[in-house]
Formats: sequence, C-alpha cells, structure tokens
Amino acid sequence: MKLSDKDQLEQTISQTRELLEHLENDEIEDAQELIDSLARGGDEDLFVEIGKLTRRLHEALTTFHLDSRITSIAASEIPDAKDRLNYVIERTEEAANKTMDKVEHCNQLADVIAKDSQDLLGEFQKLYRRELSPGDFRQLCKRIESHLEKNKNSADDLHSQLSEVLLAQDYQDLTGQVIRQVITLVHDVEESMVNVIKMFGNIDRYQAAKGESTKAEGAEGPIVNKDKRDDVVSGQDEVDDLLSSLGF
Amino acid sequence: MKILVVDDFSTMRRIVKNLLRDLGFTNTHEADDGSTALPMLQTGNFDFLITDWNMPGMQGIDLLKAVRADEKLKSIPVLMVTAESKREQIIEAAQAGVNGYIVKPFTAATLSEKLDKIFERIDG
Repeated sequence: MKLSDKDQLEQTISQTRELLEHLENDEIEDAQELIDSLARGGDEDLFVEIGKLTRRLHEALTTFHLDSRITSIAASEIPDAKDRLNYVIERTEEAANKTMDKVEHCNQLADVIAKDSQDLLGEFQKLYRRELSPGDFRQLCKRIESHLEKNKNSADDLHSQLSEVLLAQDYQDLTGQVIRQVITLVHDVEESMVNVIKMFGNIDRYQAAKGESTKAEGAEGPIVNKDKRDDVVSGQDEVDDLLSSLGF
Repeated sequence: MKILVVDDFSTMRRIVKNLLRDLGFTNTHEADDGSTALPMLQTGNFDFLITDWNMPGMQGIDLLKAVRADEKLKSIPVLMVTAESKREQIIEAAQAGVNGYIVKPFTAATLSEKLDKIFERIDG
C-alpha cells in the first residue's frame, strides 16, 4: 500500500523524533537499527523507481524495434514480395506454355504415327485378301520400311520432348521457395500488426474478430479451405447434384 | 461449329482449345474477358460460348447476362468453366441461363460429358 505524502511526512517526523530519543538516551544500537530500517525503506523506493524506468526503457525499445520493422516491411519487403509473386506468375506461365508446346508437338507425332499405321493396316488387309499385285506388294514393303524408319525417329523425338516436359517442372521448386519467403513475410506483418494492436488498440476486439469468419461477396477464385466452408461445393459431382436439384 | 473461349489466363484458353481439338472442334477463337468477347460474339456468328467467371473487366456472369439479354445472341449455348464454387454463384449462373457449369480443376472427360449433354438437349 502506498502512503500519501501527508502520511509519509508524519511517519518521517515520528521516526526522526524516535531517533532523537534513542540518541538522547544513549541507545546507540536502537538508533542504528532505526537508521538501517529507514535506509532499507529508501532502497525499496529506489528499486520501484528503477523498475519503472526499466519498464519504460523496455517499452521504448520495443516501440523502436516495431517502428523499424514496420518501416522496412512497408518500404522494401512488401514491394519486394510483389516482385516475388509476379516472378511466380511468370515462371508458372512459362512452364505451362513450354509444357503445352512440347505436348502439342508430341500429339502431332502421335497423330502421324496413328494415321500411317492405320493406312498400312488397310494395305495389310488387302494383302490377306490377296488383292495386291506383285507391284503393290513391293510398294507396301517400301512403305513399311519407311514407316518403321519414321517411327524410330518419332520415338527419339518423343523421348526428347518428354524429357523437356520433365525439366519444365523445375518451376515448382523455384516458385515454392519464393512463396515460402512471402509466407514468412505475411507472418511477420501479422505479428507486427498484432503488436501495434496490443500497444495502441483494443486487444479484446482483435481476439473476438479472430473467431469470426469473413464472408467474401462475389467472385473469389479458387477456394483453398473448402473443408472449412459450408457455402461451397467440393467438386463437380456436387455442382451436378445442385444443378439437377434446380431442374437442369 | 464456331466456339469462343473466354478466360483471362492464356494458358487456360490454350488447355481448353487443345481439349476441344481432341474432341473434334477445331474452329475455336479466344477472348480474355467479357468486354472483348461481347463484340466478337455480336459480329462473329459463334455457335457456342465457353467462359470463365472471374476476369478483370467484364466478368463471365455479366457476359452471360448480356448474351441472354441480346436478341441476336440469346439462344447461344453457354458453358461456364470456372474456379467459382459457391452454391449461390452456381444458382445465380443457372438463373441467368447457363447451359452447363464446370468447376476448375476439371478433366477432359468432364468437358466432353458436359458438351455432349448440352448438344443432346439442343438437338433433342
């Protein structure tokens, strides 16, 4: 309990009288004890003051740290994060296009092999039905030879195209690293904001808001937490069910 | 069959065009949002529209509504291929007169099935 200034003054006066009495009565030991207890009382106040100062210093340092963190986040890390995310878009788009280039090329090769094989099978049927003249037969043999030759080259080409498709998947590693860095930044921003709320805002309102779910209006893009949402469908089957329930 | 594919991502347009080609539809054209698609539809004699929902500029749902409100275009079949998966959105699209709704990510089989279903209903 803290004494008021008036109480403090009265206490000091009575303690001084007591001390004088001890001294006048030659009670040196009692006087010494009283002086010690007075000194200890002073120490306690001193410790309280030092404690207060330490806390203020600590708060000032935290605020300073907070300020410099927020400054650096706003000034460089957020713009940097935007560049990083754009890099992710570019890399994934590039990989998708590269993969589709190769796949389209492979599809064309496969289509040619299928068509040539189909034609040759037709010729073979004629051969079985003995509808081929010796001249036709020689032609067929030549076509088979060139078909096999072409197939071998196509297979080599397919193999190298598919290897490039494989290599094009390296974007996952690169973009994954970049996205992880951005996630760390988002986490830091969240922490800084919570600190600001703790120091200057209403922490109770923050805690309450944490429990609320925000409902977005209109187009949202892909829903990443479908299992936590009850207003979205989980897949095509549910879309079909919903539409058929509407009479589609 | 002349088909317009509307999506803001060129990779997605390319995927859809490739799948359509595999299904035998080779006359495909592209637009990157509703406001580029609408004038193309009005002058291009398209038979079919495949559109995303979420695009900058004019969104797919507004394109659908604009098509249904246009005397010349209102009977063109519209298939929505989108990541939008809220029930209220699917209902909104149905009420606006969509002919099919596919949620991304989707498969070639789903696209083929929905196209067949739409053609069946139109022919039958």
